[in-house]
Amino acid sequence: MSFLQLQHVSRRFDNGSQGLANVSVSIEQGSMVFLTGHSGAGKSTLLKMLIGAEQPTSGRVLVDGSDVSRLGSKQMPWFRRQVGVVLQDHNLLEDRSVFDNVALPLRITHLRAKDIERRVRGALSTVDLSNKGHLFPRHLSTGEQQRVGIARAVVNRPRIILADEPTGNLDPYLSRQVIALFHQFRDLGSTVLVASHDIDLIKDQGCRILHLSQGELVQDTANLEQAAD
Amino acid sequence: MAKRTKPRGDNGSERWRPRGGYLRGWLADHVRVASDTTLFISQRMLSSLLVWLMVGVALTLPGLLWIAHSNLQTFSQQWQGNAGLTVYMKLNASDAAVADMGERLRQRANITRVEATTPEQALQQMLAQSGDSEFLRQAVVAVETNPLPASFAVVLDTGTSFLALEALRRQLLPESGVDDVVIETTWLERLRDLSDFASRVGAGLSIMLLLAAVMVAFASVRIAIESRLGELRVLALIGATPAQMRRPFLYFGSAYGIGGGFVAIVLIAVFLNQIEAPLLSLAVSYQVGVQIAGFTSPFLLVMLLLGWLLGVLGALLALSQRTPSA
Repeated sequence: MSFLQLQHVSRRFDNGSQGLANVSVSIEQGSMVFLTGHSGAGKSTLLKMLIGAEQPTSGRVLVDGSDVSRLGSKQMPWFRRQVGVVLQDHNLLEDRSVFDNVALPLRITHLRAKDIERRVRGALSTVDLSNKGHLFPRHLSTGEQQRVGIARAVVNRPRIILADEPTGNLDPYLSRQVIALFHQFRDLGSTVLVASHDIDLIKDQGCRILHLSQGELVQDTANLEQAAD
Repeated sequence: MAKRTKPRGDNGSERWRPRGGYLRGWLADHVRVASDTTLFISQRMLSSLLVWLMVGVALTLPGLLWIAHSNLQTFSQQWQGNAGLTVYMKLNASDAAVADMGERLRQRANITRVEATTPEQALQQMLAQSGDSEFLRQAVVAVETNPLPASFAVVLDTGTSFLALEALRRQLLPESGVDDVVIETTWLERLRDLSDFASRVGAGLSIMLLLAAVMVAFASVRIAIESRLGELRVLALIGATPAQMRRPFLYFGSAYGIGGGFVAIVLIAVFLNQIEAPLLSLAVSYQVGVQIAGFTSPFLLVMLLLGWLLGVLGALLALSQRTPSA
């Protein structure tokens, strides 16, 4: 059974522009999928729909069988705690240390302090920032800040990881490091969806690629493979 | 990564609900927010002090007016029984006319007590009050006759207004044998009327100042919301509940309100301390015993609670204007 499903999803904005146009796609649990396309193709809109930050004009967005657009205000927070989100601009809190930034998703779930410490240390170790927990975001390089954002997204052991242009500000070497991290989380069981316009980076990752253009799903490598078979 | 737990529930949105440990989590969240609020305020101590001062000043006047009002009420209640007038008979009034006047006064409605004072008793009282002054004694001997008239001290029923006193005075003045009628507590009645007027004006002013305190809390919390919009977006993305996002700002409102209440208490204490000595001196000149009351533990508690209430009200207003959301 598909874990993430978009069924004939369209999104038209108030200014008349088309965010998504009749997009249907199914993603299996534990897979890693790249979402690509030019700026304005609809990648971010699709990701926002998967976390309930954007509502479809028509169609359904299902996560593990639940219609995201039908989740009430009381259920939405608990749904989002199952989703790790990585953004291009990191959205780190400048007045909190790296440790506190990563601990944020755990603090709102009321874990015990010692459990928080253990999990944050683990997440920082995964992104190779074990010795930087006491620093503030302004003391880190762009690549390190991105890795802090990733640590924050995965510290809650989410079932889904959504990344919107996570390598947008990084050089090719750091970009490959970040993608390698996502592979690592996929191997641990998370379903990973990465939006990126960097075709060179994603074409040889051996993952399914969904290509969007002007809100339409114009290419799905899974379909190409099926056709080749 | 450790083994993850799949949410329970068979279908639809049922699986996205909290499971267990809610009270512990709720308490833990309050502790965390209280700690964050303390940190936030301590990092902005100067602006926080200004907010406390503004809320405190706005609360001070209503607090002072309440103390003044309750003291004046107590004071006037203590003196209400003594409100009355004195009827002075003419020097040449006959004993029969004096006795007749006494009888007529006693038969009137609204009169609690009538005390007659003969000229001899009046003289004795005057000499006693003058401290057995030799000069006065010699002056009385030189005059050879008693210069004091017979009089009646008339005490009216409790709650009799100044207008009723004045009406009675006018009725008694033309009576046979009456030389003068003096309302003894005119100043007290005027004070009472002035106090009523001041209370009404004060109530209006107090409402305006309390609204000002709410507005100060509103503006301060609004600024806090604006300065933390980035954090709120992150919190919404990672699954903070609306209550968790609102909570810090309700704590800010509470902190600003309670702090303002504390400042108001200090200002009121300083003010009362400053006016106590001149007020006592004034009271002595009127031969009245005065002690400022009302600055009690319940009053202090009410000031803090009022501050808290206004702060929370301001925060709720700010949150209704700018609700944190994803």
